[in-house]
Amino acid sequence: MTVIRPLIAVVDDDESVRESLPDLLTVSGFAVHAFSSAEAFLASDCIDQTQCLILDIAMPGMTGPELQRELTRRRQQIPTIFITAHEDETIRARALAQGAVGCLFKPFSETALLDAINAALRVS
Amino acid sequence: MKRSEAFLAEAQRLSSTGSFSWRVATDEITWSEQLYRIFELDPVVPVTLERIGTRLHPEDIPSFDEMLTKQRRDGSDFAHEHRLLMADHSVKYLHVVAHAAHDHDGGLEYIGAVQDVTQRRLSEEALGKARSELAHVARVTSLGALTASIAHEVNQPLSGIITNASTCLRMLAADPPNVDGARETARRTIRDGNRASDVITRLRALFAKKDATTESVDLNEVTREVIALSLSELQRSRVIVRPELADDLPPVTGDRVQLQQVILNLFLNASDAMSEVDDRPRQLLIRTERDDGERVRLTVQDVGVGIEAQGLDRLFEAFYTTKSSGMGIGLSVSRSIIESHHGRLWAAPNDGPGATFSFSIPRGLDDVTADLAGADSVEAMPTLAVNDASQVVRHP
Repeated sequence: MTVIRPLIAVVDDDESVRESLPDLLTVSGFAVHAFSSAEAFLASDCIDQTQCLILDIAMPGMTGPELQRELTRRRQQIPTIFITAHEDETIRARALAQGAVGCLFKPFSETALLDAINAALRVS
Repeated sequence: MKRSEAFLAEAQRLSSTGSFSWRVATDEITWSEQLYRIFELDPVVPVTLERIGTRLHPEDIPSFDEMLTKQRRDGSDFAHEHRLLMADHSVKYLHVVAHAAHDHDGGLEYIGAVQDVTQRRLSEEALGKARSELAHVARVTSLGALTASIAHEVNQPLSGIITNASTCLRMLAADPPNVDGARETARRTIRDGNRASDVITRLRALFAKKDATTESVDLNEVTREVIALSLSELQRSRVIVRPELADDLPPVTGDRVQLQQVILNLFLNASDAMSEVDDRPRQLLIRTERDDGERVRLTVQDVGVGIEAQGLDRLFEAFYTTKSSGMGIGLSVSRSIIESHHGRLWAAPNDGPGATFSFSIPRGLDDVTADLAGADSVEAMPTLAVNDASQVVRHP
């Protein structure tokens, strides 16, 4: 019997995040796709299968919150965990108010990340 | 005749300028009364080169001797600067200009004037120091504006470090351990650590308080460093940075940190000017290029609220600001920095929305070290001097 690994999408313009986060998620038992922009994610064909979206807030072009609103508009909501290197409580409050499952400030621990992902997967 | 002589003496006293003649063949020297006063020598004893030598600043004696030798040989007009060390250990700065003539016997004779420029030199020195302190204040002020950006720049690699290290531990704990994978993630951890350390190094350089230094500077490199430091702050303000850096840009001679400060200030101004713009992309164009006449130009163009043509000059006045949070010293400090690099900084409204700020500075000498070694302490000082603003050519 094949265990289907939940698919997580990582959208971040920072290359070192796209490099490190998927590896950690893979060794933690998830399937991962990484995208360098919101636009690239929207153009991909894995929106439907994505069970959790790890989304950077500040990106050139479409921002993380804008992508989340666009998905809501398309009725393709995905449980979302925002990540940001700006430690700003108002950002977190706004993200959670808009329906995000979590909002992690970089650098975040493995435990905080996996807790947030488990919460997201329970939602989906 | 007497009257006009009296007028002349008074004029010399008022302008701290004395006159002299020097017959080269006999070393016969005549001085005006004022020149005796400047040297603080008794006019009863006729002046000789030996007597002048007793007043010369020891450090300036070699260059003074060299000047005498040259002028004996060349017989051409000359200008020379040197210092005097007075009996009370005070220092005077003198500026000498002389015209080569011939006496009635056809011998070479110099007729010249000596001005005591001590006051001017001292104020230039004080001005240079004040400006350097002001530039430091402005840097620290922008540090406040950049705190969020700095935290972002450091948190980004820290995030990579923690994630990679977590992955590394998991790979080692697997059965069997994934040693190759662990090695790769450990390598990335080191790389991200170096990245964080680079950010700190750049910051330290930018905010350290130090006197102006002169070195060969690649303006493209400086621009890239400032972009790297401010990028996340600019992105957070939804500013799209478009660098257009010329490939064949010659280096300039100057103070790297001061130039970074100017560019950073222009970036932050451009970003502020676009903070209310919502109907068009907040585009910030930064361009470097060769300018006419061996100069290098840097341009920062925004699409923000723009500037009034009639308010252009006031922009560069100290403490003039249109921003509620600004101190109004950024542009005035920036302009004096650029002027100390023998360049100019100006602003112009765009044809479309926004404004363009540009500076243009002479390209550096290819051999900077030779240039520095050739400048003695007196000649080195004018690099700190702020030009009279009225001499600055302003763009229409």
